[in-house]
Amino acid sequence: MIKLALPAGDLRTPVAGVLGAAGLNVEGYGEGSRTYILSVGGREEVVARVFREKDIPIQIALGNYDLGVCGMAWVEELRARFPHHPVVPLRDLGVGRSGLYVASAADGRTLASLGRRGLRIASEYPNVAEAFALAARLPAYRVLAVWGAAEAYPPEDADLAVIAAADEAAVSGHGLSPLLCLMESSAWLIANAESLAKKDLRSVLEPLAAGAAGAATPRLRLPPPLATASASAGPAPRSADTVRMALPDGHQQRHAVAALGRAGLLPPQGYDESQCLRRPVSPLPGLEFKVIRPHDMPQLVATGEIDLAVTGRDCLTEHLSRFPSSPVEEVADLQRGQFDLAAVASEAVPASDLGGALEHWHAEGRQVIRVASEFPGIADAYARSRHLGRYRVIPIAGASEGFVPADAELLIEGTETGRTLTENKLKPIDLLFRSTTCLIAGKDRGLDGRRRGVFEQVVRAMQQAANARQAV
Amino acid sequence: MDRTLRCTGMRDILPDEMRRFRRVEEAFRAACLGWGYDEVRTPVLEHLHLFTTAGTLSPQLLGRVYSFLDWDGWSGERVVLRPDSTIPAARLYAESLDGGRVAKLFYVQNVFRFAEGDDSREDWQCGVELIGESQPHGDIELVLLAREVLGRLGIEADVRLSHPGLVRAVLARAGLDASQQLALYDRILDGDDSALPELQGLLPEVGASLEMLLGIEGEGHAYLSNVRSAFLGSVPEMEAPLDELAVVAGALEELGCRILISAAMVRNFEYYTGPAFQLEVAGRRIGGGGRYDALISLIGDRQAPASGFALEAGVLAGLLSDEERRSRLPATVVARAADSASLASAFRLAAALRERGLAVQVAGSPPEGGARVEVSGEVFAVTGAAGKARKLDSVEAVAEALREAAGD
Repeated sequence: MIKLALPAGDLRTPVAGVLGAAGLNVEGYGEGSRTYILSVGGREEVVARVFREKDIPIQIALGNYDLGVCGMAWVEELRARFPHHPVVPLRDLGVGRSGLYVASAADGRTLASLGRRGLRIASEYPNVAEAFALAARLPAYRVLAVWGAAEAYPPEDADLAVIAAADEAAVSGHGLSPLLCLMESSAWLIANAESLAKKDLRSVLEPLAAGAAGAATPRLRLPPPLATASASAGPAPRSADTVRMALPDGHQQRHAVAALGRAGLLPPQGYDESQCLRRPVSPLPGLEFKVIRPHDMPQLVATGEIDLAVTGRDCLTEHLSRFPSSPVEEVADLQRGQFDLAAVASEAVPASDLGGALEHWHAEGRQVIRVASEFPGIADAYARSRHLGRYRVIPIAGASEGFVPADAELLIEGTETGRTLTENKLKPIDLLFRSTTCLIAGKDRGLDGRRRGVFEQVVRAMQQAANARQAV
Repeated sequence: MDRTLRCTGMRDILPDEMRRFRRVEEAFRAACLGWGYDEVRTPVLEHLHLFTTAGTLSPQLLGRVYSFLDWDGWSGERVVLRPDSTIPAARLYAESLDGGRVAKLFYVQNVFRFAEGDDSREDWQCGVELIGESQPHGDIELVLLAREVLGRLGIEADVRLSHPGLVRAVLARAGLDASQQLALYDRILDGDDSALPELQGLLPEVGASLEMLLGIEGEGHAYLSNVRSAFLGSVPEMEAPLDELAVVAGALEELGCRILISAAMVRNFEYYTGPAFQLEVAGRRIGGGGRYDALISLIGDRQAPASGFALEAGVLAGLLSDEERRSRLPATVVARAADSASLASAFRLAAALRERGLAVQVAGSPPEGGARVEVSGEVFAVTGAAGKARKLDSVEAVAEALREAAGD
């Protein structure tokens, strides 16, 4: 059986096009099927599975999948940290072209002026960002590994961002200036080295080999050491008299829109059911909005960059599981976006609770229990406290349902209605906690005069709106 | 490969090796204390940023550190398992000992660096740092101290002396920028045959003499004069490093120490600023060090000259032969019965014997070749390695008999 890993997200349509043109029709892939395991038309020996793009090189490196398709930037992200990984790039599929850029706020900064202490670099590609900082010999840098929206971080919440963008103009379109292009990326067919050496992969390789051979394999181009600059260019001063509030994009957005609407705090434009600007203007003087990923909010609240954030309790709990003494707390439950965070196993496991499932796996001879989750901190804390014995947490970017049963025994996973679980032949065996959308803030707020007034007004309005909702 | 529960690259130190390891450590401590050095220890975890500043750890080493976010690392600030001890020692000096004074420090501690396959990822180092003393006194003292440690262990080592300033001056004269210099120098060190002709092409005025500088290993003073006459005309920047080397090599030779000079030797090119040395036994590197005058100011605010060295404790322990084991074999006191009174008298006798400086156990079976003492009221029966039992009636007599048994 040849196992093929395909990307979810934006690459879905173009990759389905390339595969279709080569006579490989992955059923339901281009149309965005909700199931994660797909068959390839007319080829019984091939099975395809959909992953978040970021997870694909890891799955190929682990040998769980023989072949995969993803942007080369994600292969380089893996290679930057694990140079000896067994992933072999085979062919440029010619779609999903983009570049990986180092960018700063558009303030005339150049690469040569970066060498000061304490630079903050936000990126979805933390290993690449780290490799860049090391090669440039930046003194005392910090990498903020974010789940997304890295382009929204400079200048207030980071000095630099390492982001993927179509070209320099697209970087400028985010309001940033591109300083350096680290690589040009596009979607490639990649393979596990051992599969390539030992397994007959002809039925996928042959149809795809008909295309152009492609150029040289794209690699990271790291800069030479930068001269240490004088200490003059300090961090961007944050505006001293506003309260900074983070709002979520993605599936939390509609809950935040509703909660803000009830509290009378909805931006007049740029943040509603259909729109998402990074910096919508707030209706309240002294309050500043920024839209980022809910996953990334607790960290920014902990470091004091952001005063208030609308996020999920799942994200807050994940942060506190990794950093137990972090000074972040929930200040209001917004009573929306409710779902359960549960331990999920395959329907085929003949047990209804964790104890029974563990017994079953051990009886099957499983020495290591694999726990896949978008919440590796929570998953790790759960595995420790529930005595899973020898276990391994597989941190993933999403599309977790497809991991069980082939690539993991257990998922730590949010379930709203249970429909996706049923469709993927999964069932919950343990409830960790109930998550809702909530408002979080730093414990040690240190707000003075006017800012304190604004902060309290916002918290009160959000609380009242939530209580009114609960009373209904 | 056999399955093991140990992490790859991590080793247990078993009793035999641990004894050899302690002998290395004791020889090192005794020598350092004798030269007026004080022992310190630095933490296993340090901030990663201490090591990432240019001029501290080389990029190659930085690619092999164990770094992660600590439980309170929400700011994204990483910590690292100490990959080197000199930089932590420099931090310790800058934070706790600075004040313009000379600090003479030594330590025995481990460093962690990723290595391929089964190669060790944890290494123990006997390190010395002499901070605040400028050359050449410091450089000479460190070579002599390292040799004394080896002398105490009965190990004869070759001393190889170098100065990064020599190669740096040549490479700069060839018009190479900092990163090109590093790349070419690495090729020379790696034994790349095409590197030397390439450099000769860039520097026709010294041409063939480069072979003498980079290809030959010279003997002390004589070789240094030859280099001087061949190079100073075209590369005047070599004068200062040659002078520094000549003073150190001259003094050491006068003290009866044979010195080899090797221009291309120092791996950590960014780090060393002055004379550097390396100790080898049968071609294997067992330690080395040198001058790093720029390091303290990169970490603290103050400038201070500094030099240091480290010996590879594990490698040295491996060079020692097993000995002394028999004298450390514990004697075993055997109680007549397992009742409280019999056990108490056995433990009482063991305590009395230990007070007399003997190693004595009650729990555990007697090691092979170890003596046994059976207690029966006031009578003690001592059985030595020969297997013959002697009845004795005083603790003093038992102690004497055990000393004899250990001595034979």
